[in-house]
This record gives sequence, structure tokens and C-alpha cells, in this order.
Amino acid sequence: MTNIKINLPTEHCETCPAFTQLEQMGIKVGDFDRVIALAGNPNTGKSTLFNALTGLKQHTGNWPGKTVTRAEGGFQFNHVKYKLVDLPGTYSLLSASQDEEVARDFILFGQPSCTIVVTDATALERNLNLVMQVMEITDKVVVAVNLMDEARRKGIEVDARSLARDLGVPAVPVTARTGEGIATLLSTVAEVIEGKIAVKPMRVEGTPEFQKAVNELVPMIESMAPGIPNARWLAIRLLDGDARVQKAITSGELGGIVQRQRQADAQFSRKMSVEGRQ
Amino acid sequence: METISPNDILAKAETLRNSLSTGFRDEIVKSIYSEAERVAHRAVKTASDKKYDLDQKIDRLVTSPWTGLPLMLVLLGIIIWLTVSGANVASEAIANLLFGLGDLGRNLFNQIGAPWWITGFIWDGVYLGLAWVISVMLPPMAIFFPAFTFLEDLGYLPRVAFNLDWLFKKAGAHGKQSLTMAMGFGCNAAGVVATRVIDSPRERLIAILTNNFVPCNGRFPTLIMLATVFVASAFPPALTSFIAAGTVVGVVLIGVAFTFFMSWLLSRTVLKGEASAFTLELPPYRKPNLGRILYTSIIDRTIFVLWRAMQTAAPAGAIIWILANIPYGDANLARAIADWLNPFGLILGLDGVILLAYIIAIPANEIVVPTMMMVYMGAGMMIDGPGTSAGIFDLLVNGNGWTMLTAVNLMLFALLHNPCATTIMTIYKETKSWKWATVSVVITLGLAFLVTFLTASVARLLGWA
Amino acid sequence: MYYLAAVITVALILFLPRIGLLARIKDYRAAKEREQMEDALKHLLDRENQGRHATPESIAGTLDIARDKVTRLIENIEAQGLIESRGNNLHLTAEGERWALHVLRAHRLWERYLADEARMPLNKIHGEAQRREHNFTEAQLNELDAALGHPIRDPHGDPIPSREGKMNRAEGMSITAWQADRPARIVHLEDEPALAYQQILAAGLRLGQDIRIIEKNPNRYILSDGESEFKLAPAVASNIFVSAIPESEMLKREAIPLTELAHDQRAQIVMLDDSVQGFTRRRFLDLGLTPGTTIFPELTNFFGEPRAYRVRGTSIALRNDQAAQIWVKPV
Ligand SMILES: Nc1nc2c(ncn2[C@@H]2O[C@H](COP(=O)(O)OP(=O)(O)OP(=O)(O)O)[C@@H](O)[C@H]2O)c(=O)[nH]1
Ligand SMILES: [Mg+2]
Repeated sequence: MTNIKINLPTEHCETCPAFTQLEQMGIKVGDFDRVIALAGNPNTGKSTLFNALTGLKQHTGNWPGKTVTRAEGGFQFNHVKYKLVDLPGTYSLLSASQDEEVARDFILFGQPSCTIVVTDATALERNLNLVMQVMEITDKVVVAVNLMDEARRKGIEVDARSLARDLGVPAVPVTARTGEGIATLLSTVAEVIEGKIAVKPMRVEGTPEFQKAVNELVPMIESMAPGIPNARWLAIRLLDGDARVQKAITSGELGGIVQRQRQADAQFSRKMSVEGRQ
Repeated sequence: METISPNDILAKAETLRNSLSTGFRDEIVKSIYSEAERVAHRAVKTASDKKYDLDQKIDRLVTSPWTGLPLMLVLLGIIIWLTVSGANVASEAIANLLFGLGDLGRNLFNQIGAPWWITGFIWDGVYLGLAWVISVMLPPMAIFFPAFTFLEDLGYLPRVAFNLDWLFKKAGAHGKQSLTMAMGFGCNAAGVVATRVIDSPRERLIAILTNNFVPCNGRFPTLIMLATVFVASAFPPALTSFIAAGTVVGVVLIGVAFTFFMSWLLSRTVLKGEASAFTLELPPYRKPNLGRILYTSIIDRTIFVLWRAMQTAAPAGAIIWILANIPYGDANLARAIADWLNPFGLILGLDGVILLAYIIAIPANEIVVPTMMMVYMGAGMMIDGPGTSAGIFDLLVNGNGWTMLTAVNLMLFALLHNPCATTIMTIYKETKSWKWATVSVVITLGLAFLVTFLTASVARLLGWA
Repeated sequence: MYYLAAVITVALILFLPRIGLLARIKDYRAAKEREQMEDALKHLLDRENQGRHATPESIAGTLDIARDKVTRLIENIEAQGLIESRGNNLHLTAEGERWALHVLRAHRLWERYLADEARMPLNKIHGEAQRREHNFTEAQLNELDAALGHPIRDPHGDPIPSREGKMNRAEGMSITAWQADRPARIVHLEDEPALAYQQILAAGLRLGQDIRIIEKNPNRYILSDGESEFKLAPAVASNIFVSAIPESEMLKREAIPLTELAHDQRAQIVMLDDSVQGFTRRRFLDLGLTPGTTIFPELTNFFGEPRAYRVRGTSIALRNDQAAQIWVKPV
């Protein structure tokens, strides 16, 4: 199979470089530079977006729960190779039924370079619940406001700028089915990963007694596993009595993760130095 | 620096947790949602929602007490009627074409003087197996998959789950089981994986064990062929397609009835328990993407399933040809085995050849009918126009003593018998237990034997057969 | 030859260690014995919590076993140093109390599990938990505890002992310290001194009753439960311990269950019932069924169940038994 090259429509994209090119690589994800996770509520078009980017044919269907396992594919955008992971839809990261566990574990322990949370423009309020929970875990979040065509048909207008300002992470309107907005989405993702766009995710405060409890736990977790990226989230989960997280902490899984992340860092800096010499 | 152990953290978390008021998780979610409300309120402007009103009108119709259930039946009927009537014509055309090609090939080999056993092995074994599988399976799938995917993309499936949940609840199962059954129409293995949408392990296991009672696309062609050739042939030609479709719908409904019955039985015995929580989102209707549907369902699924069937059909064809050409007594080995199985087959209202075909087709039982036809033909019967209904009718009834009972029981057997090898493997992978994989085989096979035995006995007692 | 094979087979079936018939019978008897012992310990703990003493007769009654067997059972437990008898009265030793609390913890955790995760009806869970509570190690219980999110009360509202074996006793304060016009619920009646206790009972006050202080002065207290009035001397009244009536019950009084909403009738969610816990509660919250949310029934099918409700822009179908646990106020 030869890779399919697509020139994306860029006329509505203010931030893109003049020339963008998407190359679908199907399941050939041998060596890649970055990993992107597709999270979101059920039935918001994650698999459709995944197919549009990778050229694969992950099944889609208009009912919540179509995807129940993790699927991986690759694409190349502006000469950077990405591995894209399509996850089962979840309403939240708290309940953890079997398909949801797949999604949660990947966002939490799979260490994606960036997580795209695909949301339904016609039910944004409901979808923001998950967005905020993902933002508790990781800073590298881009919100894709999908199903814009449906929203227009229903007379719903979404102001992505207001959304981005409030959330503290970029929000990009897209229509996965037609490919509208995908170029902007990809260049935004790239810029978030490269640190060109500063993200400052909104965090929900909670009651004062709750905050106090969290603030007592966070330093303990940080001193046990220095460099852990989401100590706050772990603290909240521990307070909630989350068996999975408790196990991760006692079994030392957490330490391993931090280490893996360090390795990635080391690799990255080695690459930087190599590239710097050239 | 003092080191902090994981246990310190857990202990600390526990004391802190006890100091917090109990509803604190409620509090977290509530504050997230109120924040979400605020953000969404600022970012979203809604004009009057005409689409919602339309969706509402459709939904009232689709789920209403008096139209909801009949509409489901009608839609199922339409899909199956389309499949049956379309497949009938196409199957005949394809069969004629492929069997014609086979004759050409055979002649060619004869002319160049190839040894008889090479000609026979290739053209009467492998090629014939493939030709049967393609002509029987391709047309129904190429019609059924797109039609079904259309409904799926429209958003109809969750409404089915909504309409039927009460029945599942009564059976001690979960309403989303109907979604997994819908996936089972395509392929039972896919249906088994789809059961992950069910949260409770008990109800999930019930859905896994009963998924096989939905005839998958591999078994549909068998049902369609039998319904067309036997049941419908007793009626005037104008009605043929309707009667055939009605018969297939009837068989599907019998399968659904068995699903409910088995779920009920399982939830009262080995998988005891109460019905669990049921929450189902009913998404808005969306316009299906026709181009995509045609592409994925034909190129992706139909060809994929067909390819899989062909991979088993070719060796099966070869085996049958070999068996039919090894002399044994005054006939051949295939005949001998079939004769040996015959008494057992007759008890079930079937015959020895059908059982032999089932045994050969264990790896992928969608090739049962093709295998069976080959055994009948390979055993010396030549018919003309093997692809036509009349030709098949002639071969089976006049040549091999089939009756209406044979046809009905074969349909029942095809509906109930054990899952194919792929599905059994999938059940093992999903449950991580050989025990449940075995149970799934025992239940289905046991029921298949029992039901066919009972219908055969009753029919004979009443003098119908 | 055949004979020998048959004998060997039978012998194997009977005597094979662990899976042989005899070994199984022995295992079974051991398990039964332990069960009885644990039930007896639990009974003792129960009695002690009520401030009464357990006797061989009370054990025989509760466990429903014959007197002579009870004697043997008690001897057996005593030999293990878990109880000691003083006269006819039986007492738990420290070790015995630890064990009893362990079993109680198992029982109440299982009840929580059966109610939340297996969604058994409340009237069935006690019996089932009674069957399951035995033969669990501390570690297994800790795991169950964690999986359930460390609940502190069982579905009947009784406290679950913590992992250190501490009982979070129903707290409360003496009614003499209670604010006059605030409704209160009796959570504890002090049984010492016995005379005061007798007076309280004679007046007709009982545990769990909701009361209100009508009048209080240095000479007497007048309490009311809405129907009758109770007059007590302050010294006696100080033996009544009360706490606030749970907020959820106050809220419930002005709300109706979601199932009772008519078609298209808008309402606001007041609260999720306390009986919805575990996975179901999390799922409800995740779907946005939080207090204050607007909701209305929008579709009903042939069977009248499930019904679909519109919440936060989406249609969500719920079965009636679940919807009945969501309390709403029509707007
Ligand atoms: N009109 C329109 N429909 C879309 C768009 N994106 C996806 N869809 C449709 O929405 C439905 C759901 O899409 P999926 O990609 O399966 O959704 P998903 O998020 O993967 O769903 P789960 O796997 O269940 O979590 C399908 O019927 C798609 O055809 C879009 O941009 N516009
Ligand atoms: Mg998907």
C-alpha cells in the first residue's frame, strides 16, 4: 500500500504554515516521533477523525460504545511522524467500566505527547466534564469541537475562542466527516507539543476542606516519585479511594512510569543535540 | 531527606478521606459540571432548534408504545426482503457464470491431456468449493451489510435497545445486549467483543453465551437459500420473495426467542443475580454517509468475510473431492461416511450428508451448504443449471430424498448449532476462560440437537414427514 | 485385573489429598465449624454493643442449634482464648473482639457490595452477606474495601469497622446541649444509670426517633415527636444522645421520585438517593445527573420502561427502579 498524500484545505487556517501536507500511513507505525491520544465522550466522532487522519477503516456507527478496544494508526504531518491512538468513548475517568478503563489507562499511563479530546458541538456542556477531567491529568490537551456541520444544522454557534480562553487550552472547530478544520487541528497539536502555544488548563477548585486535603497529599506523592506529572490528580483519586490508583502506587508501577518518562526526555534531548549539530 | 513510602501515603489518604464529608465525590462532579455549564454558556449560542423538534417527532414514532415494536419488525422485514429478493437473482447469475467457467476449465484441462485426478482435484474439488461459496454468500452479504450499516449510521440501534430493554430486564439481562446482537448479525465474533459495552460481568457473560443465536452473515445465506428453494416454492411465484423473506424473519425471531429464553435460564441458574444499572444515551439521528457506507460495507466487510470463507472453502472442496474419489466398498468414502452418519442424521430430521458437511465445515461453518451441495453432487448426481432454485430443488428432493422437514430442521440447526472456530476463540479471549468457551459450545450444540430431535419426532408422530 | 483397577480408583476418589472425597468432607466440616464459631463471636459482639450479656441459651437461639452442641462450641472457642465465661455470662476477650470485628467488617462490606455493585434488593442482602462473610483474610477484605471506595456505612446505615478494627460509633451529643428548635434524631440511649434508662424507655422514647425540644428549663425538658409529648427531668434527659437528621431526608420531604414526573414536565434534580452508591452513583453523576440540573421525561416505550429523559442536551434512558432513586422538584 502506498501512502496517500492529501493536501488539506488551509484557507480558514490562520496559524498554519503556507504549505501543509498530511500523509496517511495506515498501520505502518514503525518509528514515530510523537504519540497522540484521541479521547472523548462516546459517539463524538473519534473513530471518524482517526480514519480521516490515518486512512484506516476503524468501524464507526451512530451509537455510544461502537469502539471498545484501542486502535493505533499513523500519519505524517509536516514531516513529523505521529502515532495516533483511538480510544473507546468515556463519560468520565472516574467510573471505569471495562472499555473506559482502556481509555483511562492510556491517558494516564501511556504518556501521550498530546491528548485530543473530541467533543460534540451540539452537547458541549456535557462533553466539557471529560475535558476538565483530562486536563486534571495532563496539560497537553487540545479540544476538537467536532460535528460542526450538525451544530450549524441545529442553529448552534460555538465560539471556539471563548472556549479556549476559559479552558486555558486550544479549542479547534472541526467536521471529521468532511475534513474541515483538520489542518488547523494538527498544526495546533504540533504547536502545543513544541511548546509554541502556552497551555494553562483550568482546574476546578472544590471546597476548601477538599483543597486542604489535596494540598497535604500532593507534596507526599511528589517526594515519593519526584517528577511525577499528575500528582494532583493522583491525590484526588486517592482521596476518592480509587482501587486502581492505590494499586499503582503500592506496586511501584508509578515509579516505573516516571522512569519511562525520564527516558523519553533523555531521548528527546539526545535528539535535540544531534539535530543541533547538523 | 526522609523517604516516604507508598503505605504512608495510603494511610494519610485514608485519614484525610475520613475527615472529609462523605459526599465529596458528588461535590467534585457537581463543581466540574457547574464550571462546564458556565463555560458552555459563554461559548455556545443556540437559536431555536428545529432539528430537535424533528428528531423528537421521529423518536416519538420510533419508540412510541404502539408503533415502536411493529416498526422494528417492518424494518427487519424490509432489510431481509431486499436481501432475499436481490440475492436470488444475483446468486443465480453468479452461479451460472462460475459453473460455466468451471466447465470451460475442465474442458481445457482435458484437451491438454492433464491426468484425470489433477483435473478433478482442481476443477471438481477446489474450484467448485470456491464457486459455491461465492455464489451463495456474496450477493446476500453485499446487500445486507450496506442496508444494515445504513440503519446503524442513522442512529436506529440504540432505539432498538430502548424498545427491548424491558424484555431483557425480565430475563435478568441488560438492554445493551440487543446492540451486541445487532453486531452479531454481521459476525458473532464481533458481537462477542461488542459485549464490552455491558458493565456488569454477569450480564456480559449472558450476552456472550447467547450471541450465537443471532444468525451471522455466514449463516444467513443458508437460511435464505433454504427458505427460497423449499418454503417459498410451495407458493405462487409472485409471492416467492415475500414468503422467503417472511420465513427468514421467522427464523430470526425464533433465534431472538431462544436468546431471551437462554438469558432467562442462565440468570436463574449458573449466572444468578439481579438486573444491574442500565443507562443508555439515545444520540440524535445523523444523516448517513452513503458513499462511505457502500465503500466500507462492500469493500471492507463483504470482501473480508468472503475471503475468509474462501480460505476454508478451497481445502474443504479438496477434501470432499478426495473423499468422493477414494473407492470404498461399491461406492466411495464420502458416501460411506455419510451412510454411516445417516441413522443419526435421520433422528434429527436431517441426513448423513448434512452431518458430514457440518463436520468438514467446523473451522468456518458458513460453508456448510456449499460443502453439502458438493457431497451430493460429488456422489455422482449431475444436474443441469445447479445455480437455479429448480435445479437445487431437483437435486435435493428427487435426488436425495429431502422433505420439508429436512429443510426446516436444517434451518433450525443452522440457527442454533455451535459457534464457528473464530467465535469460540474470541469467547475464550474475552472471558479468559476455557470453561465459558466450552459452555458456549455445549449450550448451542445441545439445544440444536434437542430442538431438531423434537421437531422431527413431532412431525413424524403427526404424520407430516 | 479389572478388580484391582476398580479398587484403586475408588481408593483414589476417597483418599486423594485435597480433592479426594474424604478430604472434601473434612474441609467442609472445618468450614462449617468455623462459620458457627464466627457467628457466635458476632452474636457476642452484638450483645456487648447493646450492653447486654450473651449466654449459651442466647447463642443457641440465634444460631438455631441444639443445646449440647452449643456447649461443645463454647468449650471449643474458649479453648482458643477468644471468649471467657463468668458464671452463665460470656465475654469476648481482646482477641475475640478483634476476630468478631473482622467478621462484622466482612459482613457489612459484603452488604455494601451486594447493594451497590450486584444491585440486590435491600431485603435480600443480609442473608446473602451472612453466607459470604466467612473465610476471608484481612488482605482480601482490604481489597474489597478499596474496590468499594472505602465505605463507612453499610446499606442499613450501620457503621463498618475500619481496617484497624475500630468502630466509628454513631456519634451524637446529649440533648441538653442541643439547640432548642432544631429537629434531632435519637442515636444513642445511655443505659447507665439503669434507673434513668428505665425512665426514658417508660416515657416511650426509642432509638431512631425524630424529636424536637419544645420547652427546656432547669426543672424539666419537654420533647415532642410531632404526635405526643415527653416530659423528663434534665438529669434523665442528659442520657439521651441525638444528632442532626440527615440533610438528604430533609430534602426528600419536598421532592418526588423522577418516575412520577409526567411526560414533558420539567423538574430540577434535588438529590440522588443515599441508597444509590458505588458504580451506579458514579455513572449517574458522570451523565450529569447532579443536583440542580433540569430534567424532563421525553420518551416512553411500549412496556412503560425504560423511559428516556432529556438532561443537558442529551436523551438518556433509565429503568424505573433507577429513576425512582433520583429525587426531583417540578418547576
Ligand atoms: N455529520 C457528521 N457526522 C459525524 C461527524 N463525525 C462523526 N460523525 C458520525 O457520528 C457517528 C459516530 O462517530 P464515531 O466516529 O463512531 O464516534 P466515536 O467517538 O468513535 O464513538 P465511540 O467509539 O462509540 O466512542 C458516526 O455515525 C459518524 O458517521 C461529523 O463531523 N459530522
Ligand atoms: Mg469509536
